[in-house]
Amino acid sequence: MSAKLFHYMKETPPDSVFSDIQTLNKFQDEQYGHLVQYVFGFLTDPSKSFRLMTQLEDFAAENGVSAGALKNVFKSFLSIPSNALKKSLTPEQIREDLINLGLSDAKADYFGEQWKTNQLALSRSALGQTLMVNQLLDMEWKFGVTAASSELDKVGNTFLQLKLVINTGNGVSNSYMELTLPQFYSFLHEMEKAKASLEYLT
Amino acid sequence: MCRAVKGSACKSVVSLSCYNLQCFSWISEGSNETLEFSIFFVARKNKIFDAPNKEAVLKTCQEAFLYRDRRNVPDAVLDRVAQQYNVSKVQASKLLKAVGTLMKNAVFQGSTDPADLIKLFPDDFHKSLRDLLAKIMIESMASWKSQAVNNQVSLPRMVDFDWRVDIKTSSDSIARMSVPTCLLQMKVQDNPLRVDQVPNVSNISVELSKETLDTMLDGLSKIRDQLSSVANR
Repeated sequence: MSAKLFHYMKETPPDSVFSDIQTLNKFQDEQYGHLVQYVFGFLTDPSKSFRLMTQLEDFAAENGVSAGALKNVFKSFLSIPSNALKKSLTPEQIREDLINLGLSDAKADYFGEQWKTNQLALSRSALGQTLMVNQLLDMEWKFGVTAASSELDKVGNTFLQLKLVINTGNGVSNSYMELTLPQFYSFLHEMEKAKASLEYLT
Repeated sequence: MCRAVKGSACKSVVSLSCYNLQCFSWISEGSNETLEFSIFFVARKNKIFDAPNKEAVLKTCQEAFLYRDRRNVPDAVLDRVAQQYNVSKVQASKLLKAVGTLMKNAVFQGSTDPADLIKLFPDDFHKSLRDLLAKIMIESMASWKSQAVNNQVSLPRMVDFDWRVDIKTSSDSIARMSVPTCLLQMKVQDNPLRVDQVPNVSNISVELSKETLDTMLDGLSKIRDQLSSVANR
């Protein structure tokens, strides 16, 4: 077999992928459409693997194919767009790869079009899965005035209390802190500078 | 216990010609229960209204305020006070405690009007001494008030913060991207637990995406608007 260059993988894919794609060709267009939908549904939200499994089982039951074989075919089929997403391939490149793998032209075109429409949602979800260290989940604040204390009968200081809810890798932690008013104003000023930086870079 | 004055005339308007250990007790104004304080005040003969001694009294009051909450004043301080007023260590400790409580009461009622401060003393208290103490209170009131405010109960306080903006260029899920993100580090200091230790400062690092930073800034702007509306009222 001539060594064709694939976009989604550096080396030639294993033979199992070729044979699984041939199996795909045997599906009717409507059934193929369902499978493509499952692919995109999973890629947009990879945490919902349970849902994918139930979808595949229902599909196998409805169409009279064995669930195990279907899962293998689906796995090979899924590997192509998931690698393509990591490399941010264009719809044409994906279409080329699918045709080189043996998929019929019509099915490859259909997939390419679906890829184009879903590309934005897919990239966004991939970005969302990117590692974030100590991500800030929520911030609660309250501010008030100290009326009196055990040492002073009349105090009049304003204070600001912040509660930050942070997602450390091992769970959610709350941190509490208090700011005086000048500190709050300088904090606000610096955060506005940071926001301007972020906007400039977007 | 009276010591005879040796020849030099007393400059004060009070007709007493010598000072000795004086013991006073009075009812503190504004409190529900009767508090009895004893103040032992020893003055060197003839010299209480001269400048050097006024400084000494001022210094004693300031030290008394500084150690007002401690159970045991450091020995070095006690020795110095005992030497200055020519009394024993036990009496020096009682002196500091009593002066400290008096200063605490003065700071609590907060006013710098001499009339109010004079109310803290009983009617038969030595007048010049009372005026001197009132004057010291008025002078030091501002700095004592800010010391009290710094010591008060609070959540851990933010001491400093730092931020930087990074750009993420690639990750496990996407090989090429250009996503800016903000990292914020805040230094927070707990309340002091022991008198002889500076409380430790912990670092809290947080990563903010653009949306998170926008939302946070919305919240902070709301705070600022509310603050300015309260200030204008």
